[in-house]
Amino acid sequence: MDSENSHSDTPDKLKQSLVDLGRYRDKQTFAILYDFFAPRLKRHLMTKGAHGEMAEELVQETMLSVWRHCKSYDPRKSTASTWIFRIARNLWIDRLRKEKADLMTPLDNYPESHFEPAMAEFDSEKIKSALKSLPQQQAQLVYKVYYEGKSHREISEDMDMPLGSVKSGLRLAFNKLRSQAGELK
Amino acid sequence: MTTHHPDLSTLMSYSAGSLPDAIATVVAAHLSVCSHCRQQVQEAEQVGISLLEELVPATMSDHAKDDILALLDETEQVPIISREEQYVPNDADIPAPFRPLLGYYLDELHWRYMAPGLKQFVLPASGSNLRLLKIAPGTCMPSHGHTGSELTMVLRGSYSDELGRFCAGDVADLDPDVQHQPVADTGEHCICLIATDAPLRFNGLVPRLLQPFFQL
Repeated sequence: MDSENSHSDTPDKLKQSLVDLGRYRDKQTFAILYDFFAPRLKRHLMTKGAHGEMAEELVQETMLSVWRHCKSYDPRKSTASTWIFRIARNLWIDRLRKEKADLMTPLDNYPESHFEPAMAEFDSEKIKSALKSLPQQQAQLVYKVYYEGKSHREISEDMDMPLGSVKSGLRLAFNKLRSQAGELK
Repeated sequence: MTTHHPDLSTLMSYSAGSLPDAIATVVAAHLSVCSHCRQQVQEAEQVGISLLEELVPATMSDHAKDDILALLDETEQVPIISREEQYVPNDADIPAPFRPLLGYYLDELHWRYMAPGLKQFVLPASGSNLRLLKIAPGTCMPSHGHTGSELTMVLRGSYSDELGRFCAGDVADLDPDVQHQPVADTGEHCICLIATDAPLRFNGLVPRLLQPFFQL
């Protein structure tokens, strides 16, 4: 099994790598995390609307933040993916604000302390298969929120649906995903 | 405890970072006082992250990895300092996420007259999508609908409308087809924080200021 190089990408291994990075500040460990996350973050940011160069810049900023702040990572609070994608989300929002020269920049919409400690983790394999079993329209709504970063209003325009139906479709989808993934680990 | 919460679809979009900025800020203000919604957001975030793990990786440029490895030595590792650890007066009544911009006290803001019984404070540079409204006791707002997403959080006092009674900490996450007529229903001023989704057309200053209350 060790010949499989994907072996270092299981959520538990990634978590361990991030904890180790905080402890030992080892570049090899950083490289493992970088190899896994950088290309995924880049795709994620591009899907949200960043052009290639900006996406790559933000990936570099995100990964440098990971290096800088990895001592603050608490494996009891979140998976490595959650922690790292959260950093990317916040940098992306900062970037959008700066482009508009927005004075709301000092406002922090996603303070770390908002998040409750020690919540049991969903089984992400179950969530992925639950997504595949959603009715097509609901899956599309979920896709637009999470992958494309579209607001409800934008989705309602894209899909030519009333805003109220966008919201109720998302609620239904989320409740299904949650109940199917709800078998906690 | 709060009884009216943001819609689940709003919390999902918040967790994905997909809400318009002004609306996300009101959600953040509600989360700072509502552990029920914090839990929902965390679940929504986990759903989102599982989906992101499915992304087809994009190719980074050849030099990207070497570039960043070269930067590591000169980059200090520092802990994140949480805002919660900083000193906050006990009687601060401005929600935590707004304090860097507005300070601690609602009464110290420069409220502007809007109509009898009605004052407002528009947050700087929010594209007038984010405002505070101060409604005198007994003041009855005109009946109105909503043209897009709108999220209102009560910060002080309370109001009642067709949907119920909204007290400090409560959020009204209204579908656009809802018509309602809020009334400040106690002896104290009701202060609300209101975010609207940016309309695509700019309708001029006055209609924009009144838009949350009059269908224009």
